[in-house]
Amino acid sequence: MAPGRLRRRGCILVFLSATICAPALHAQTAAEPDAEPQPQWRTRFGLEVKANYRDSQENRFPVPYQFEPVQLPVGQTRGFEETVDAGRHYEFSNVALLGTVARGDLFAVHVKVDLIDLHDRNPTSTGQKADVDEAWVRLGREVPPATLAPGSGVYVKLGKIAKFERQNDRHLESYGLVSTAFNRFEETGGEVGAHLGRHLYLKARAAAGNPVFLRDPNALAGDNGTPEDLRLPNPDPDLKSGVPILYNAHFANFNLDGKLETGVGIGWRFADEGGRNGLDLFAWGNRRKLADTVKIHGTFYGGDLDILSGPKADTVFAYTGDDKRETGGNVWLYLGGFSFFGQYVAQDLAGLKRDGMEGEASWRLDLPLIWGIGGRQLFTYVAPAVRWSRLDNHFRNPKETPTPSFSWDWDKVDSGVRLGLWEGLDLTVEYAANKFILASGAKRHNDELLATLRWEIGR
Amino acid sequence: MRKVFALLLILAGPLSAEDLTGRVQLLAKGGKGPARGTDVRQTVVWFQPATPQAVRAGDTPFEMVTRRKEFEPRLLVIPKGSRVRFPNEDPILHNVFSVSAPNQFDLGLYKGRPGKEKRFDQPGVVRIYCNVHHDMVAYIVVLDTPYHTSPNADGEFSLRGLPKGPGKLVVWQEQADARTIDLDLPQKGPLKVDLEVVRPLIPSHLDKSGQSYFRSRGDRYDTP
Repeated sequence: MAPGRLRRRGCILVFLSATICAPALHAQTAAEPDAEPQPQWRTRFGLEVKANYRDSQENRFPVPYQFEPVQLPVGQTRGFEETVDAGRHYEFSNVALLGTVARGDLFAVHVKVDLIDLHDRNPTSTGQKADVDEAWVRLGREVPPATLAPGSGVYVKLGKIAKFERQNDRHLESYGLVSTAFNRFEETGGEVGAHLGRHLYLKARAAAGNPVFLRDPNALAGDNGTPEDLRLPNPDPDLKSGVPILYNAHFANFNLDGKLETGVGIGWRFADEGGRNGLDLFAWGNRRKLADTVKIHGTFYGGDLDILSGPKADTVFAYTGDDKRETGGNVWLYLGGFSFFGQYVAQDLAGLKRDGMEGEASWRLDLPLIWGIGGRQLFTYVAPAVRWSRLDNHFRNPKETPTPSFSWDWDKVDSGVRLGLWEGLDLTVEYAANKFILASGAKRHNDELLATLRWEIGR
Repeated sequence: MRKVFALLLILAGPLSAEDLTGRVQLLAKGGKGPARGTDVRQTVVWFQPATPQAVRAGDTPFEMVTRRKEFEPRLLVIPKGSRVRFPNEDPILHNVFSVSAPNQFDLGLYKGRPGKEKRFDQPGVVRIYCNVHHDMVAYIVVLDTPYHTSPNADGEFSLRGLPKGPGKLVVWQEQADARTIDLDLPQKGPLKVDLEVVRPLIPSHLDKSGQSYFRSRGDRYDTP
C-alpha cells in the first residue's frame, strides 16, 4: 500500500478514535459526583386498554365518478366520500399486550401486540384486528430525542420498528395530517444509529416500505374495498369510505411484500444533563420504488401504484415512473413542562408532489398531592395540547375519480387536554377540526370529538 | 485533689483549643452581587484536622421524612457510621435512592412508618432522590469530624474548641461548588468565604437506572 494512503487511513483512525474518546475524557473532569448506576436486567410486562367516546360529524361529499347503479345503495344516484361512522359512539379501541426485557441501556427486546386496534386498522371493519404492532431487538444505546448521549456509541435495531422520524412523545390520541400521511405506522426492517459525541447523531434505515394506501385522518380509517362493497346489488355498508388522504399504510404483522425503502438522517441535540430542557433538530430522507400493487389484508384494493390508478383508465392519477422520495425535518423542544414537536415533509410520489407541516405544543402541569389510593396519587397532572397540521397537494385529480379528497389541500387543528387520573390511568378529551378545500374552491369541514380513557397496567 | 484536677481541666481547655469565626456570602452566578432566594443557613461548614479525630455515631437513627412530596429536612449532617431512617408520611408510595459513591443505596418503593433505614459508613455528600418524583431532592452530609456548624441568616458562623495545627476547612452549599481552605490554627481574625450559586434548586439528575425522568414516562410509544 502506498505510504500516502496509509497515512490517510491513519489520520482517519486517529480522528475517529479522538471523536469517540473525547466525550469520555470530558466526562472525567466535568461529571457530577454521582456514580453511574450499574446496568441491570429489567423486565416489564403490561396491558393497555383504551375505551373511547366518539362523536363524529356527519358529512358527505359527492365524487366525480360514475358508479353503476347496482354499485350504489338503493335510491342513490351517485357516490360519496362520507364520514366513516357518524354520530355518538362508545367503543373499545384497543387492548394491547406489552413486553420488554432489557439490560441497562445497551440491550432491549420489546414486543407490543394489539388485540383490537380499531383506530389503527385499515380498512376499519375487515382489517386484521390482532397484530404485532412492534417487535424488535436492539443492541446498543438509543438516546431519546432532546436528551444528551452519554458519549459516542452505536446501536442496531431489528424487527418491526417505528420510522426514525416519528413523534414518539405524544400528548393527544389523535394524529396530525403529516404523521398520518407519512410516518404513523411501524415497518419491518432495521435501523442503525451512531452518536458522535454527545450532540451529533446519524441514523440509517432499511425496511419493507409501508404501501401507499388511503385512510381518513380522523379516528376510524374508513372502509374501502371491503367485502361489503362487493355484495351486489346495492351494497350499503355500515362503515363508509371516510374522507381519505394518501398515506403510508399500516401493515399488520411482519410483511416484506413492499419494496425496500432506505433512509438516512442527521441530527443535533442540546440538553441539560437530566433531560428536563432540550432541543433536537433532525433532517432526514427516505426513498424506495413503488410496487405495481401490494396486497393489503381486508381490502381488494391494492396499495402503491394500484391505488393511484383507480378502477379504470380515466381514473389514473398523472404519476410518472415509480420513485417515491420523502425528505423532511423535525424539531423537538422541551422546556420544563412545555414541549413542542414540529415536522415538515416533502414527498414525491412518482411525480405527484405534496408537502406537509405539523406542530404540536403541550404543557404538562403536575398537580399537588391531595389524595392517594393504593399508594398512588389521584389526579397527577393536567396537560393541555394543541396541534396544527397542514397538507398541500401539488397535483390534480384525474377527470374521474372515486377519491377526489386525495388532492384536496387540508388543515387540521387538534386541541385537547389530558388528565392523569392515577398511575397508568389517564383521560384525554380532544376535538379535531378538519378544514379542506374542494376542487371547486369551497371549504368544508369534517370534525370529531374524541374522549379516550387509557389504562396501562404494569408500567 | 479532685477539685484541683477539675480546675486544671477548665483552665487547660481554652488554652489547647481554638475558635474559628467567619462569614459565608452566597453570590449570584458570575459573582455579580448577592444571590437572591438561596438560603445561606443551608450551608455546612466543617473543619477536618490533619490528625483525624474520632467521631461517634449515636444509637438512635436520624430521620428524614417524606412529606407532601418533599424530604424533610432537606439537609442532614450526621457523623460517619450513623443510621438514617426514611419514613414516608404521604398517602402514596415513594422511593428513596442515591447513586453518590461510595454511599449508593436504593430502598425501593414503600410508604408509612417506621420507614426503611440506611447506615452511612463513608464520609461525603450523599444526594438523595425519589425515583418516582423528580423534584424530590435532599442531601446528607456524612462527616468524620466532630467540628461542624451552619451559618446564621447573616452568614456568620463559628466553630469552637478546634485543635491547634493544620487542617482543612470545607464550606459546602448544595447550589454552589464546595470551597476547601487549608488552615493552620490558630487563625487570626474572621474568615470571609464567598460561594457562587451555580446550580438550580432542583439539580439535573437521572433516575436510578440512569434514564431521564422526562422522556420515558407517559409516552404513547414507550422507548425501553
